[in-house]
Amino acid sequence: MKDLITIGLPSKGRLKDKAISFFNYKGHKVLQSEKERNYFGTIENEPNIKIIFLHAKEIIQRLGDGTLDIGISGLDLLKESDKNLQNKINVQKRLDFGNANLVIAVPDDWIDVQTIADLEEISFDIRSKRNSRLRVATKYPNLTNDFLISKGVTQYKLISSLGATETYPFIGSSEIIADITSTGKTLSDNNLRVLKDGVILNSTACLLCAKKKTKKLKIFKFFNK
Amino acid sequence: MRSKKLSETIIRNFKSNGFVLSEPDVLLDSDYIIERSGEKFRSSMLTFNSEDGKTMCLRPDLTVASCISFLQKKSSSKIYYCGQAYRRTGNKRKNFINDQLGIEILGSKNQIQDDFKIITTILSSVKKINKKKIQIKIGDISLFKSLIDALDMPERWKLRLVRHFWRPRYFEELLERLEKNTDIDAVTFDADKKRFYEMKKINQEKVVAGRSISEILKRFDKKIKDPRSFVDGKKIVKIIKSFLKINCKLSELDKKLLDFAKKNNLKKNIFKDFKSIFNLKKVNQDINFVTNFGRDVEYYTGIVFEVFSGTKEIARGGRYDGLLKSLGAKKNTPAVGAAINLKNI
Repeated sequence: MKDLITIGLPSKGRLKDKAISFFNYKGHKVLQSEKERNYFGTIENEPNIKIIFLHAKEIIQRLGDGTLDIGISGLDLLKESDKNLQNKINVQKRLDFGNANLVIAVPDDWIDVQTIADLEEISFDIRSKRNSRLRVATKYPNLTNDFLISKGVTQYKLISSLGATETYPFIGSSEIIADITSTGKTLSDNNLRVLKDGVILNSTACLLCAKKKTKKLKIFKFFNK
Repeated sequence: MRSKKLSETIIRNFKSNGFVLSEPDVLLDSDYIIERSGEKFRSSMLTFNSEDGKTMCLRPDLTVASCISFLQKKSSSKIYYCGQAYRRTGNKRKNFINDQLGIEILGSKNQIQDDFKIITTILSSVKKINKKKIQIKIGDISLFKSLIDALDMPERWKLRLVRHFWRPRYFEELLERLEKNTDIDAVTFDADKKRFYEMKKINQEKVVAGRSISEILKRFDKKIKDPRSFVDGKKIVKIIKSFLKINCKLSELDKKLLDFAKKNNLKKNIFKDFKSIFNLKKVNQDINFVTNFGRDVEYYTGIVFEVFSGTKEIARGGRYDGLLKSLGAKKNTPAVGAAINLKNI
């Protein structure tokens, strides 16, 4: 089955629904198994295409190792992944769903901190007064690191978080956070505020493709934009 | 084998100048280093987790490792090291291993004497291995600080320029913002002022994410009173840029600095603290002084130098008075050191 094409789509939530509608809209109707929790699917009248429903992060990994030829996942997850992995994946197209920003957020009550420049001053203050570092909790250590260093903030320490990062500043686990937000509601409900120049990345869902497999993709007209 | 012989010759010279071998640990506590040196170190370190949950790393640099060893009282203050350091460089072709050979005076009590000792020891070493056409390039980070101190500008801008002097690219960006007065901070604080008065009424000891309300309000107040925007940015940037162009023979430096001060209406005595540099006139060598030099290593605080043989850099070093404190020394512990670039000899 040399010509078999494997597509990875997100397995959950809105991202899954939107990804399926995207293929449907482009004239490739996605058929899911009748068993509700089955992870495999197909495309109507295209026996050479296999669909696998996976975690969005997994889709990027599997594009990298060649298991998948095409996938839909978030730009944030791609950019956060290893450089070696990124080199193996092409962003074919940014899609019009899954919009979210990766941002630096501070406690609302830190009224003196509005910009990254303020953050830089604070971090030096903390450093010189307490000989400790401003702690930044995040699920995105790589992107956060690159961003802060490029903005001149150097005196900080990353705390890796697995979820509910918004709680970290208020339970003593970190001072500030870098997190993904689409409406900003979770942040503001947890008394956090985005810095004025604190957007690290504008992310959307993306149509991705394994670089080595680009030849296989001719059958999808929309790949040629 | 040739390089081994050369290192042996150099080491003999280090010893005869009174430097004692330091053999710092190969394995270091990486959290300890990151806590003190910042996150940017992390990506270059080779780390692993030990069974008791600690993150360890291979020593990324022998100066840092020697400082830690000195702080643990495992070595004397006037040391040399010879060994491998391990780090990632981001360059595919380079492997992880760096051979390092160098000297340090940790807890340097006499700045002029110790700076001189380091430079002359390095010079005599490169002469022992028959290097020809030797040239020295020096700079002094503290001169830039003296200049900034003497300029008339908001305190917060001063601190910022000094903090980022060693990051030339970001520094340029700062100069541009200063010149055009486009710092984003120049917005009004109306909305926050209301919050400011509300917060003044609550318990000032209350802590929000590690900072007390009083600390936050104090800084807010200070920020309003010391805006970062001001009109003279353009003039200041011009002065800074022309300072960074100074590049002359050491023997002409006095005159150059005087001319510079005069031309920009600065007091003549703003560069008073460079005795250590002038002391180097005693070295019987061609020395070039460059103000825009030594800006790629964060920890340098004073004199910096590079020794060339022809066009090849064969040694470099400088004064780093803050590093030991940031690695946990209880009091200020000045230091100065240099390393031979083994690849180029």
